[in-house]
Amino acid sequence: MNRKTTRIVLKVIRYAAVTLILSVFLFPAYWIIITAFKPMSEWNTWPPHFWPYHPTLVNFAVKGILPFLRNSLVVSSSVAFISAAISLMAAYAISRYKIGGTALAGWFISMRMLPPITIAIPLYVIYVKVHLLNTWLGLILVYLIPAVAFGIWVMISFLNEVPRELDEAAYVDGATRIQTFRYVIFPLSISGVAAVIVLSFVQTWSAFLLATVLTSDSAAQTLPVYLGRFVTGYNIEWGPLAAAGLITMLPPIAIGLIFQRYLIRGLTFGAVKG
Amino acid sequence: MVPEKELKENLIRMHDRRIALLFILPAVVLFLVMAIYPFIYMIYTSFTNLNLSMSGTGQFIGLSNYFEIFHDPLAMGSITFSTMVLLIAVPIEMAIGVLFGLLIRGLKGERIFRLLFLISMMIPGIVFGISAQMIFNYLFGAANYFLSFFGVPEIAWFGHAATAQFVILFLDIIQWTPFIFLITYAGLLSVPQDLIDAARVDGASRWQLFINVELPTLKSFIYIALIIRLIDALKIFGKIYMTTWGGPGMATSSWSFYIYKVGVSYGWDIGYASALAIILLIVSAILVNLLIKVLNLGETLELKREG
Repeated sequence: MNRKTTRIVLKVIRYAAVTLILSVFLFPAYWIIITAFKPMSEWNTWPPHFWPYHPTLVNFAVKGILPFLRNSLVVSSSVAFISAAISLMAAYAISRYKIGGTALAGWFISMRMLPPITIAIPLYVIYVKVHLLNTWLGLILVYLIPAVAFGIWVMISFLNEVPRELDEAAYVDGATRIQTFRYVIFPLSISGVAAVIVLSFVQTWSAFLLATVLTSDSAAQTLPVYLGRFVTGYNIEWGPLAAAGLITMLPPIAIGLIFQRYLIRGLTFGAVKG
Repeated sequence: MVPEKELKENLIRMHDRRIALLFILPAVVLFLVMAIYPFIYMIYTSFTNLNLSMSGTGQFIGLSNYFEIFHDPLAMGSITFSTMVLLIAVPIEMAIGVLFGLLIRGLKGERIFRLLFLISMMIPGIVFGISAQMIFNYLFGAANYFLSFFGVPEIAWFGHAATAQFVILFLDIIQWTPFIFLITYAGLLSVPQDLIDAARVDGASRWQLFINVELPTLKSFIYIALIIRLIDALKIFGKIYMTTWGGPGMATSSWSFYIYKVGVSYGWDIGYASALAIILLIVSAILVNLLIKVLNLGETLELKREG
């Protein structure tokens, strides 16, 4: 009996601890969400309103957000599709032909872990010379680095699960290597490709540093850069800012949660299957 | 007859190799052009006094930029704060990340808790910055409101070094603990159930179960999570940009943020920023090397199979 009581008490403590941790960790996101629906009169109140007393959608009519939304969509989706193609090909070469061995794989890992500021400094000077500053192309090219380096690991762990016997069978039937890739490997890895596309998309969507250094106005600036400009100055319009923040954070949250399994593989270079 | 067969096999292998090279080429070209070439260029600029806001700069000045780092109190301040992130935030993230996995394991609602906990990892750092600006606002912030229950007078969070540092570390912990959880929880799930059952039958306590059964499996997951986190912690930028701008003084300026300030926001001093960036690159390269060892690539890539 005594033992049973301790077990119940322990369980209650565990639930309490989980609830406490979750409330702290979700609080910043919660505050963005409620502020996005607060009318101006509720942005700055004492005591603060912990939910919108008079919810409104007016904050979502943010002035001038459209060009930035467009830039984010163009850059992120271009990076998503191009990086999926490049990483599928590279992963095929590594998974099936073991090309480059651990040295090449190690190099690809280091590309993934690069501190972005170390690329931003020289690239700024180079971009000035080749006229790529403040262009979509300039951003797409640079954001391909982390996206491809991430995608390769998702694809490798995926391709390693496609049985090699299928390659052999196609080969015996007289298919060339390219045909094998086109008609056997590609159709079987389509869900991996889809995962790389969406994960690269949100990764580029959320990225800030390189975009803020390499762009200068609404011709190429992405949503996070727009948010960064918004927050300076005195009378900050919290409602519209939070609404824009909500628009920025929703796609990464939705896609990240749906594609968790692939996210783990990409983040840990295939070491953790998830 | 044997040589002819061998010759044919060699031909096939050569052909395979050429196809493999063709497939790997786009990735290699991308990295060479967009990363390696800029790095080589940056090594060069780190030996010059190139400043984009002044004409006639770009002369070779040897190692002066590197020597300047040691006499630069701002650079030293940035090292201090970057070290704080590594030594305070990362260990707390590790502890809570592992603990949360253990807490929810086997609880009713485990899947939902897991999903909810992962949310903050997906939020862009820049959005956390907005949130922190509101929550830690001096006049209207929720943080000061909560503290007022305990009789604590309003705190100007961004006005003092210690509290500003607390805010940045707090945000880093909120954002990255779920990452540690994601990896170590996957490790926890991979502990064989029969081992756990056997230990239970033998009457092991929860603590003994953790130390003797779960921890040995978790170890490699913990190492991987820790090293990836250490490398990423060096990159902390967006949250600082959005909240403290490195201040007050240099209290919350990370190494990455200081490079940004030197190279971009005030001065366009590319020469000096390059030298600072090279140092950062070397530090992360050392950590990446460690990571590659821990990852045991031969096994994860199944390179050995065809050895």
